[in-house]
Amino acid sequence: MGMTVKKNIASFHDSVGIEATEELLGWLRKHPKGKVNLAACTHLHTALLQVLLAARIPVAAWPDDQGLKSWLTAAINI
Amino acid sequence: MTPILQQFISEGREFLQSISEKLMQLERAPNDVELMSDLFRSVHTLKGNSGLFDFPEMSRVLHAAEDLMTVVRDGKLPYSAALADRLLDAMDFVAMLIDEIETETTSGVDHAADSLKFAALLRALFAAPDAPAAAGSPVAIDVPTQVPVDGLDTTTWLEIPADLRAAWLADRNAQPELLWIVYTPEPDCFFKGEDPLHHASQLPDVRWRRIAAAKPWAAMAEFDPYQCNLRFEMVSGCTRAEVQEHFRYVPEQLTIAVISLEDRVEATLATQEPAAREAAAASIIAAQWCVLRGVGSADWSAGRLRAAAATLEACYRGGGHAECLPSIAAALDACLAESTAAPLLAWLGSQFPLGDVAATAVVTAPLSRPTIAPAPRAAGEAVVAAKTLKVDQAKIDHLMSLIGEMVVAKNGLPFLASRAETVYGSRELSREIKSQHAVINRIAAEMQDVIMQVRMTPVSTVFQRFPRLARDISRKLGKQVALVLEGEETEADKNVIEALADPLIHIVRNSLDHGIELPAVRIAAGKPAEGRLVISASQLADRVIIDIRDDGKGIDPAVMKRKAYEKGVIDEATLERISDREAINLVFAPGFSTAEEVSDLSGRGVGMDVVRSAVERANGSVTLESSVGVGTHIRLSLPLSMAVTNVMIVESNHQIFGVPMDMVLETVRVPKTEVRAIKNRQTTILRDRVMPLRSLNEMLSSAAPQRVNEAEEIAALIVQIQGQSLGIVVDDFREVVEIILKPLTGILNGIAGYSGSALLGDGSVLMVLNPKELVSWA
Repeated sequence: MGMTVKKNIASFHDSVGIEATEELLGWLRKHPKGKVNLAACTHLHTALLQVLLAARIPVAAWPDDQGLKSWLTAAINI
Repeated sequence: MTPILQQFISEGREFLQSISEKLMQLERAPNDVELMSDLFRSVHTLKGNSGLFDFPEMSRVLHAAEDLMTVVRDGKLPYSAALADRLLDAMDFVAMLIDEIETETTSGVDHAADSLKFAALLRALFAAPDAPAAAGSPVAIDVPTQVPVDGLDTTTWLEIPADLRAAWLADRNAQPELLWIVYTPEPDCFFKGEDPLHHASQLPDVRWRRIAAAKPWAAMAEFDPYQCNLRFEMVSGCTRAEVQEHFRYVPEQLTIAVISLEDRVEATLATQEPAAREAAAASIIAAQWCVLRGVGSADWSAGRLRAAAATLEACYRGGGHAECLPSIAAALDACLAESTAAPLLAWLGSQFPLGDVAATAVVTAPLSRPTIAPAPRAAGEAVVAAKTLKVDQAKIDHLMSLIGEMVVAKNGLPFLASRAETVYGSRELSREIKSQHAVINRIAAEMQDVIMQVRMTPVSTVFQRFPRLARDISRKLGKQVALVLEGEETEADKNVIEALADPLIHIVRNSLDHGIELPAVRIAAGKPAEGRLVISASQLADRVIIDIRDDGKGIDPAVMKRKAYEKGVIDEATLERISDREAINLVFAPGFSTAEEVSDLSGRGVGMDVVRSAVERANGSVTLESSVGVGTHIRLSLPLSMAVTNVMIVESNHQIFGVPMDMVLETVRVPKTEVRAIKNRQTTILRDRVMPLRSLNEMLSSAAPQRVNEAEEIAALIVQIQGQSLGIVVDDFREVVEIILKPLTGILNGIAGYSGSALLGDGSVLMVLNPKELVSWA
């Protein structure tokens, strides 16, 4: 599925691959204060995680997928 | 096994063969750009193919080899024998992996360490002189100079939530070990299609995890999301093997350490953690246990015991287990009385079955298992198959035996024809059967011919392993040898070629080891320092001739005679009598080895007689000529095909037997009066030569006398056995037939007097004699 952008919220759905990285960066340039909604996300590529970490994008909603959530919280909350 | 995997295995072997051939050619012509490119291509293709399957160990080594070849091809590193050695060793390792894949015994993980080692050795060749250039590139990371062990330090330990730690500590009996795993993907891993987050999240039984930036994040303007800058830290309940298996593609990016929970107890105590009261108590108790274990017989040990006991009491009281207090006091009393810590330890043991956990530091043995270098393998075990179609050998063999059966069935038709005529009195039918037989006969003969063509294999399949063999042996012995192969395209039946392989290797080894001298000796003898070993194959009528010539020191008949006499191979009378030529041929005598000392190459005293018997088993022969100081020439002669044998049928004592035609010189009828006895042996004079006679009945332990014909003549089959003629007396001669000789199996296999059996057209079994063995029997 991938990523959909609505104003300053980027929503991730299902598995998001590395090809969404450019899009995420582009969106981030326009919306430096944007947030991500990961609720429907089941997996995101490591490169995207790096963007989330490096840009310190706030997470509006954590994944429903507990496995992914545990990994993301392990990365983002520190 | 899937067909594509089978294809990979057979192609992989071909590639390995051609790689090692090219490596050796390059040693002679290190500047041959064409050859170097070819070599690079082979390595590259093999690596690519291995990537199609799940063989990271193989890919890793091949990848390193490919990188090395790139550096060499670009002229940044000169080609050297040492380099070839390492590449050849690495290719042997790959060949071993292929073998294991074929037998499906592999659990590639076992070889992960070896594969890292080989890859590191290869990379070391070019990484070392090239270090500045390579720094920062993935190459530098790949060199596992023993993965730096980044164990779990106390600070990190304390960052793990206290409730988790407490749970692990409480659970440490059930699971004494947890693994601390640090996975640092290489920066450009995304370009290899890796997704480290996905990879890490697939690891089962992860108890705790943390993802951190390996280096501080760059400002967004310079931030490159495609360079992986993450470090994955995990605590897992998996076994080390499971973790290694999971991360088998990236072992060099992984650090695994065992978290010794015992050691963590103190770390927990060092901090004032309000939470997890129960766990803290457990930690304190465990600490007391450690203290008690350290109690010796010093003056202050009584104080120590009391202190420990007091701490324990406080813990148990605080934990609401006041009922334990009397038993602690009792144990303390016992301790003080015996001035040892044993009773308190025993008490603790009963409460807390810790077992005698060795307080080992974080065990750091990530990947360094004993590395067993795979034994050097004879190169070229692969079989070169036809270029066009690859067929399983077993299918060809099956087809051949079917054709053989058809030939036998076809041979039944003439019998049928004669029955039609004699029993049913129909000449017409008999003639029709015969004409039909002629047609089938022609087709069958053609089929036989074709299947023989299919089975024809060039001798190069055997020869191709010699360059490597010669190279390895001569390097080992410090000799210089030029190996010349001729007539590699000569073809012979697959079985014959296979029968050739072992004897040839033996002969080549012997020539290199005993024949060709050390360079200094050669120069002193006025010969070029480099010895010459020529192996040539050619076809002579229906036989393949293999000549092995060396220009070494040759065989000295005087030495041979003396040694043979010393070893009891010949007696004194023989010593005086035998010619030089015969003396040289003593090398073929069983138990004869002239090597001054036993080397690991040859000279175990099981040498040339094994060669001879192996060749003779394939109906071949060996001749040897040698002159001192000039060299040795060994000639092997083998039939082109072993499938169809011509045998002469003879009759003796109302039975029929087959005698291989290649042993039969002639058949003669000798008047009984011409037979004379010399020393109770029957002989006759045949064309002015004395011809010893042996009765077949007698050799087969039958009492019946040999029959004679109406003219009172005996039938003598003159055979040649090891260069000597002998007359075998039989009752009568019959026709010569073509048969498919089947070796005897089971118990019959032990009867050396027969070389096999065959089915005749009328369905009866023909036993084929082995005159050589028969003669030595009686």
